[in-house]
Amino acid sequence: MALENPLLPYIATITKVIDETPDVKTFQMVFDDPEVFNVFKQKPGQVAQISIFGVGEATISITSSPTRTGLLEFSIKKVGRLTSVIHQMEPGMKVGIRGPYGNNFPYEMMKGKDLLFIGGGIGLAPLRSLIDFVLAPENRQDYGKVEILYGARSAADLCFKYDLFDNWPKMPDTQVYVTIDRPEEGWDGHVGFVPAYLEEINPNPANKVTITCGPPIMIKFVLQALEKMGYSEDQVVTTLELKMKCGIGKCGRCNIGSKFVCVDGPVFTLRELKKLPPEF
Amino acid sequence: MRKGYILKDKLFPWLEAIRAKYPLIAPVQEDGLSLFKEVEKVSDIVLDYGITRMPPKDLFFPQTEKMFRIKNKNNMAVELETPEKITDEQVLFGVHSCDLKSILALDPVFTTRFPDRYYQERRDKTYVIGLSCQKALPTCFCTAYGITPTAYEGADLHLTELGDKYLVEVVTERGERLVAAVPGVVFEGTESLEAEKEKLTAKVAAEIKPVDITGVKEVLDANFELPLWEKWAQKCLGCGICTYVCPTCHCFDINDFNRGDGVGERFRCWDSCMFSDFTRMAGGHNPRPSKKERVRNRFMHKLKYHLDRYNLVGCVGCGRCVQRCPENIDIRAIISDIKGGV
Repeated sequence: MALENPLLPYIATITKVIDETPDVKTFQMVFDDPEVFNVFKQKPGQVAQISIFGVGEATISITSSPTRTGLLEFSIKKVGRLTSVIHQMEPGMKVGIRGPYGNNFPYEMMKGKDLLFIGGGIGLAPLRSLIDFVLAPENRQDYGKVEILYGARSAADLCFKYDLFDNWPKMPDTQVYVTIDRPEEGWDGHVGFVPAYLEEINPNPANKVTITCGPPIMIKFVLQALEKMGYSEDQVVTTLELKMKCGIGKCGRCNIGSKFVCVDGPVFTLRELKKLPPEF
Repeated sequence: MRKGYILKDKLFPWLEAIRAKYPLIAPVQEDGLSLFKEVEKVSDIVLDYGITRMPPKDLFFPQTEKMFRIKNKNNMAVELETPEKITDEQVLFGVHSCDLKSILALDPVFTTRFPDRYYQERRDKTYVIGLSCQKALPTCFCTAYGITPTAYEGADLHLTELGDKYLVEVVTERGERLVAAVPGVVFEGTESLEAEKEKLTAKVAAEIKPVDITGVKEVLDANFELPLWEKWAQKCLGCGICTYVCPTCHCFDINDFNRGDGVGERFRCWDSCMFSDFTRMAGGHNPRPSKKERVRNRFMHKLKYHLDRYNLVGCVGCGRCVQRCPENIDIRAIISDIKGGV
């Protein structure tokens, strides 16, 4: 089934809605035509356009790993018009999906390396596609130690609590660090911003790749901290978010200089990022 | 390339024969505006039109285009209906060399990597007939980009008025199909016309105020920040007319129209990088928050980004933005500022 019209979405059904935080929900979706799964082959880090018909489209990162077949997961923060509508949707309802778009995390280059994931807020959503990919039994032996550092404003704002506190810590050679911005009652974990916690942990750069995503301000200070710790520009991978409409390099709005984030990104190494004008 | 001619007084009968077969879009004068429009009578066609108010890009990339029809029953059942056919075969006549070149600049955007079905079908089904300029306007500067005012690149057939004849150059296979479908072109004895065409090219080119873009790309490659962006941004109103009339601007928005009962359509429409919400995200972050960044983006697209991506100029020197900018922002002056590194 060839995608002869890339702007025409596939119809899908929401099969499950998980409340992550007061303003983030994860939607599990399944294509109505199961054949579509044979052509929709996403790689970790790619994005899709989610349609609510009659409302519009929004670009959302695919948060489920390709190793989980037969479904797609999208973790969506309620921030705008379309995301507010999708937050009211329930299992059984129809949406549209087109994609997968963009490049992907360089998981081939990461083979044999230790991985350090650094996420903030909803920024963990794109990272999770790669975390679950490398932790999948069929891929686990290809990668070294996996460390996940994640922070949110408050305990209630932590996404994927089931992964952070249950699934991931149980995985072999995997360590999870969680922090929240300010102290609160009932929280006996770490308190402080992600970049500060990163400097506290001070992970050794030897044979390591870091993958980071979060609010622009967090990314900025994380990149600074990593450079200070001696990480080279090729050891630092990030994924960017810009406003997109078409997702296929035509509508013109997600450019950073000559690059379109929808086709040339969203994943960039720090080395690539430094070649771009500071317009993101 | 095959060359032939049409006698001047046979041009309109030939166009009429085309019009009898295909919708014919050609330059006309309407309410004082020169524009490309489907003609009812070939006598409405204006041959010495200077430049049309709008470029012919909407033939391939309409200002608003319905992409598919939506039937949505409360999000419980959805049907999408894409049009079986985007367009019939049509003929676009009378396109000057700058606008021809602009079509070639848009092609790779829409037809490479995720080919755009709507654009591709319109492009495949449109015969483009170019028409050489007989004179230059004060705002013309196609020659800055190596385009000559009589160039046929981008046309399927190209016509040049020379004395009592039109030289006809058959540029593409599609052009061959059109001359086969509509007889009238005489394929013989064009040597003297070809010599005449060279003279016309030199005459019109000499009328164009020279603009030298040598070094502009290099300055922009090396400098993202230049004081000139702030200077020009102070003049800019952010009205977006430059992007609206530009033959190579291709930005669009995608939206749903919803009748209220679940029936509606998804359409795309032209958008502009001069508007603040073009890049503003739902969360409020805007990578191009002020006019300085937006003005810079537009001119960088024309003079650098399109070249970087497609190795094609993003400006063809048609001069429409120069004519229409209410604040007299002139890309030729910006080019001069860039060269001066100010």
